[in-house]
Parts: sequence; C-alpha cells; structure tokens
Amino acid sequence: MGGKIMRLIKLLILFSFFLFPHADDMYLLKGGNVFLPNVGFVKKDILVDEGLIISIEDEIDSSISENVINSDGKYITPGLIVFSALGLIEIGALPETIDTRSETYNAGFDPSDAFNPFSQGIRLNRSKGVTSTVNIPSASGYFAGLLSYTKINNGIKQKKQGPLGLLTSYGQSYDDSRAANLMFIKDLFSYVRNGYDSMKADQIQFFYGTDNEYRFTKRDLEAIQKVINKEMPLVVRVNKATDILKVLEMAKSENINLVLWEANEGHMVAEEISKAEVPVIMDPLNNIPGTFDSLNATYENVSRLHNAGVKLAFYYDQSSGAHNAYLATQSAGNAVALGVNYNEALASVTSNPAEIFDIKNVGVIAIGYDADLTIWDNDPLELMTQVEKVFIDGSKQDLSNRYDELTERYTKEEELPNSYRSR
Amino acid sequence: MIKKLIVLLTIFILFGCGSDTPSIFKSKMESSAKNFEDDIHGTYASTYTPLKPENIIIRNATIFDGNGNKFLDYDVYFSDGKIKNLGVDLEVEGAREIDATGKYVTPGIVDNHSHMGVYPAPSVRTSSDGNEATNPVTAEVWAEHSVWSQDPQYKLALAGGVTTFHVLPGSANLFGGRGVTLKNVSANTVPDMKFPDAPHSLKMACGENPKRVYRSRGPSTRMGNVAGYRKAWIGAENHKKRLERDPEHRDIKNETLVGVLDGKILVHNHCYRADEMATMINISQEFGYKVSTFHHAVEAYKIADLLADEGICAALWADWWGFKHEAYDMTIANIAIVDQARGGTGCAIVHSDSESGIQRLNQEAAKALAAGRRAGFEISEARAMTWLTKNPAKSLGILDKTGTLDLGKDADLVIWDGNPFSVYTKAEQVYIDGALTFDKASNFMPHTDFDIGIKEWEEK
Repeated sequence: MGGKIMRLIKLLILFSFFLFPHADDMYLLKGGNVFLPNVGFVKKDILVDEGLIISIEDEIDSSISENVINSDGKYITPGLIVFSALGLIEIGALPETIDTRSETYNAGFDPSDAFNPFSQGIRLNRSKGVTSTVNIPSASGYFAGLLSYTKINNGIKQKKQGPLGLLTSYGQSYDDSRAANLMFIKDLFSYVRNGYDSMKADQIQFFYGTDNEYRFTKRDLEAIQKVINKEMPLVVRVNKATDILKVLEMAKSENINLVLWEANEGHMVAEEISKAEVPVIMDPLNNIPGTFDSLNATYENVSRLHNAGVKLAFYYDQSSGAHNAYLATQSAGNAVALGVNYNEALASVTSNPAEIFDIKNVGVIAIGYDADLTIWDNDPLELMTQVEKVFIDGSKQDLSNRYDELTERYTKEEELPNSYRSR
Repeated sequence: MIKKLIVLLTIFILFGCGSDTPSIFKSKMESSAKNFEDDIHGTYASTYTPLKPENIIIRNATIFDGNGNKFLDYDVYFSDGKIKNLGVDLEVEGAREIDATGKYVTPGIVDNHSHMGVYPAPSVRTSSDGNEATNPVTAEVWAEHSVWSQDPQYKLALAGGVTTFHVLPGSANLFGGRGVTLKNVSANTVPDMKFPDAPHSLKMACGENPKRVYRSRGPSTRMGNVAGYRKAWIGAENHKKRLERDPEHRDIKNETLVGVLDGKILVHNHCYRADEMATMINISQEFGYKVSTFHHAVEAYKIADLLADEGICAALWADWWGFKHEAYDMTIANIAIVDQARGGTGCAIVHSDSESGIQRLNQEAAKALAAGRRAGFEISEARAMTWLTKNPAKSLGILDKTGTLDLGKDADLVIWDGNPFSVYTKAEQVYIDGALTFDKASNFMPHTDFDIGIKEWEEK
C-alpha cells in the first residue's frame, strides 16, 4: 500500500537531503518493534525529520541519516499522553506552588498560561516516557475550568492546543441535592443559549450571585457557549450509575458533546454509554467503594466498558495530581490483566486521549505526525521496563531528572563528607 | 454539578508509622507496668481461630521463600496450619495435591502500614476514626478500638496476597496511640482478627503533620515537636518511678510509653526527612528505647548506613513524592539503597499506607527493584520478596510466626498465576494458617456485612 507515494516521499527526502545542509534533527530509528495503529508491534524503521515522522518502512537505508539509532529488540511507541496537573503543581501541600485553582473564574478558567516547563515533575515524567499532558484545572466554582494540551519538551517553549473541553463534576454534594445541580446546569445552558444580558433582572444572578460558585463572568459564559456550539465537549467527573444516565440524558437533550471521567459504576450502564458513543477517561485500578457514589466500584469496570465498545483513556489515580502521571502505564498493564486487549490498553495512554479530545497530529506513529516517540527496553506496560530515549517533535530529549541525580549523589563514592556521602 | 472536588490526598498526607526487631524483647528490664502482659494475653487478647486448615501439598512451584531464596520445581507441604516441609518430589500421604507448574508460591504479604478499618470505605466523616487529633500526645488510644470489622476493603487486600496487616493511628499527633496487627480474615469482632501474641506498637510522627495540626496551640515547629516527645518521655520516666512505690497506680497514657521504655511495645515512627530521623534516634538514645521502623522515610537513602548500624527498618513507598515538602527528595532507588546498606544488612520494607496500594504491593516492589538495578545494585527477585514478607514481619515482631516459609511457621502463603513481579500476574489462591481464604477461580472470598444488598450486578 502507498508504494508510489512512499517512493515519491523518499525521493523528496533524498532531494531535500542533497539540496540543503544536513539536518541535525534527522533521526533513523532502526529495527525496533514499532507500535502501529490498528496493528500492534511490528518490526519497522522510522525516519524522523524536521519534527515529523516522514517514513515508516521495513527497511530504510542507514546512509540517509547520520543519526542512526539502533533499536534492535527495543519497543517504540508514541509518547505517552497523560491527564495531569504536570507543570501546574510543584508540591501538593504548598498552595503557593499550585496554579490549577481559581476563585475568580470557573468555566472560563484555563490554567495553561501558568505552565512551568522546569517543574521537577515534568523532568521525571519525561524521563519515564511522557511527551505531553492534558492539563487538569481545579477552579472552585460549578466548573473546574478548561482542559488544554501541552507538550513537555525540554526548553522554554512548548506547543499547546486547546481548549479541549470544559470540566465539571456531578454527584454527591454537601449542600444542594444532585437534582438541584442538574436543574441549575440546564437553566444555565438555557440562559446562555438564549443570549445573555447582564442588565435583565431575572438573569442577574448568573452574573452577580453573592456566592462565588454561582458567579459567572463574561469569560465563563463564553466557555459555556463553546460547549453549546459543540466546539468542545463537556467533561463530567461522575461515578454513580444513575448519575451517569442523567448526564447522558442531559447531553442528549442539550445537544452537546460529552466525555465521562472516572465513572466507577460505568460498568452498570456500559451499554448506554456505548450507545451514546461517549468516551470514558478512567483508572482501571479504582475498585474501592470509597464513596456512596461508588458502592459498586470493581476491577471489572474496565473490561465491561471495553467489551461494550466504549472508547477508553487511562490515568493513574494515585499520582497525587501530577507527580507520577507516567504510571498510567501501570494502570494500562493492569487493565490487560483484567481482560482488556493489549493494543487497546496501550492505545488508551497514547492515541485514545488524542482521539477523544481531537488533539491534532499526535498520539500515533504515522507518516506526517509529530515525532513524539518513546523507546523502551521492553514491554512498555511492564513494571520493570526502562525508558531509553524520548523524542518530542523530533528532538531528542534530555532525560536527566532529580531522582536520578539524588540517587547518584548518595550512591557514588566520594572523599568529601556529608553531601557527598557514600552509601 | 458538584462544586468542590474533595481532595482525599489529605488523608495520606496526614498519617504515618514505625516498628522493631525481636531482639529488644530479650534485653531490658522487667516491665514495670504490671498489667502490660494483660494487654496482649488478658482481656484484650486475640480470639482468632483459623478458618479450616487443610492438609495440602503444592507441587512443582517456583518458590520465593521470603528469606531471599528462590527454588525451582519445588513442593511445599503444610498441615495443621503450619509449614511442614519444602523440597523436591516430597512424599506425603493423605494431602490434597495442587499442581503449581508455571506458578509461583510466596509467603503471605505483610503490610506494616495500613489504615484499613480506622479509615474504612466508604470514606465518610462519621467513620473517620484514625486520628484522635485533640491533643499532640494521645499515647492512650488504641487503633484496635477504632477498627471497623466490616470494612469492605480487607478482601481487596486479600486478593492482592496480603495475609497480615498492621493498622496504625494517623500522624496528626506526636504520639498517635497504639497500633494493632491483624490477620487478614473476615470476623465480626476485632479480637477475632488479632494476630495471636503480636506485640503492641506505638505510632509516633515527625515533621509537617503534627506542627500543622497543632499550629495554634503548639507544637508549631519541628523544635516544638522534639520538645513534645522529650516532655512525654520524661513523664513516662516519672510514672515508672511512681510505680515503684505505688504499683497499683494507673495512667493509661503512660502505660503505653512505659511499655516502650521496657521494650515491650514497638515504636513505629512516621518520619520523612533524614535529619529528623537522626534526631529521633538521638531521642531514643536519651530515654533508652529503640525505634523499630521509620515509616514513609522518603529520605531514608540519605542515612541508609545509620539505619543499618542501628538495626532500624525503613517502611517505604516505591515512588510516592511531591505531595508535601518533606516528600520532595524522592528517589525510586530508596528501597534498594536502604536494603543494600552496609553490605546488604539494611532492613527495607515496601509499605502501602493506602487501601489501593495494599492490593498491589508486589507491583510496588517490582518498580523499586527495577530502580535499584538501574542504580547499579545487583538485587534478585527473591531478595526483593523479603521487602514484602520477612522484613515487615520482623518490624512487627512476628517473624517467628510468619513472613517466611520456614518449617513450623504459620502456613500463610500465596499461589500466584505467574511471576509476582509482573504487572500481568494475579494472586490465584491465598492461605492463612493453612486455610484457603481466597480462590480467584471460584470467586471464593469473604464479604463483609457492608457488602450485603449493594451489588446490583453479577460478579463473575
């Protein structure tokens, strides 16, 4: 397939190769087991240039690039796409190091401008095979804010996409009934849909409610408008089976796109979720009846959703917000043990996040896509597998991180005392 | 829609623990708290009885014995609740045979840091019973008096191969109270779960948690924390003196502290920072007690030699970090560095402090093992298995009863459907005192009363 096109591309590559000075950023990844969409792992050579994957062949001649990376016996996957607050949280218990929150805005709040590419969490996660993150906001109003997408390459500039979706949650609450919460969201949508006017008395509560949670600025209402226009989905963190049904109904009657998040009792309404073609972002390891909304939490959630044909993406819930987001691979590995097809489990931490949120040009190894690649020494979902190399936009990443540096500081023999302590 | 996401992180930010070596029982003076033996053997004694011990021989397994050894194609024989023999082609009459070709057998996992029962599921305010956060010194409270015997989480840990767990009070206080060691069995009362003859423990906590919880009344600083420990120990010394002239005198708080000074109660000390652990060791020297185990100890690798020299265990996560400042200096090689200190004499433990993590402690050990090898240590899988079995049993003072497959010990063991260091492996069967307590194939497992009437869907 595509033989002619490939030959043409090869010619073009060779043409540019001779025409221009040799590109430093051209890499040939040779002989690795490459994870291809709808196929799984197959032995292929990958040619990367100017940040993109430009060729995937059984055999590409080594003379084409000075940077040949022997990947015999290695596993090459798209870089992991995680759901996290990476770059927005440094230390969980120190609010001054957290930028996911807002009291001023809710629906319109996008934390991505606060992104810190030098966070130690970014360094660690990059060294563990993560190439990009879907930022999770946590504003304190009715909506948590806007999801957006950021690459986590070395250096001061990162490519971003977004907003990807509007995050909120539905279910148990300490004050209003969940029924009231549903009424409110419907009224709010109706208000925005009918064209809001801050001067009208019966609508003024939406602008100037005394309680912050009921206050919506123009920016917030514009974000809701985007959901109503189907420019992005509403993303709802919800667990209880009956709540999931209500949210599905609401999305249908409001004619909006929906993504479910967490969904611990999703397995009880798997057919309904599947029929509505709504994807679910979840941690397969969430099997504890930790709240009255999750009494039917079970390890079987993931396989039941998977068997019903629901599109899934995984995160690792114990990552304390950001720090160990890379462990989504551990969740995916467990999902396999719990009955999910291997390729689908790996897709759930690579291509599915991109597909679910329509993130352009990433998540799969295909010609023309961004060269965001991770090279592993073994099965990427296994616990003892190590990351060997990471590319983001075709650029080979520095994988140094604070944990390796501390390890070295305390294990290397030195003559000097204390901070050069031997083990 | 729900306005505030309730961040449960605070639960594990809040709490920690500690442990000890059996040697301290042999040394030291007589207990001056005359009722102390009663705590273990009297009114509050364990009333646990095993489920239904069988006579079983497991054949052709790959065995990690918990002592750091690996045996291929080996048989394990147990009867009357005890390990009776290990070997090749054992000849045994009248035992049920289990073919474990391609499978692995290990001792039951021991988690020395759990809050199951005191922070049960569902997590609601009305059964959040792990921290008596009303005074920085609450040595008088006992976790066993908070444990909810119907917590639906025990069976989830059982499915992960956990046969023994140690429930600690939280880390809000300098002295959080006594911990309790439980067999992972379903029972209607707490004494029916208690590990027979297990020593009592005392939870202490360093650092951020106590000084945050008590910042308005004190202690509000780390030096305030240290003054608080020392004041309490001086009070315990005074109590001891008083007992010499007034042996009938009761003081519930000081009875716990004197139990520690007399070497009867094991100190489990939640402590993250290396410098604070060194200070805690100084305090133990001032008052003549021993720290069994530092818990969480994200910086244990910085003083791995000191811990090995002092014979103190470190109970650690594989990779948790960053949720507070004192958990910032993380290395995934922490467990391996502690283990390998002083020629491999360190005592490293993989603990959970998490109702989720406790279900997959074997996976946590795998990550720690991989990081240790990456740091240049040659560590075998069999050695890494000691982090989950022998060392935590040692830290709880129950190594003479469980934690390895030594002959005569409790037949607490797990049959895994593959290598337990693989993400794809599951516990297939779990035996406690020779009785089958979990069987994956037939979905045989205990259900607490809380589970009754909830499941609206069929479990496979």
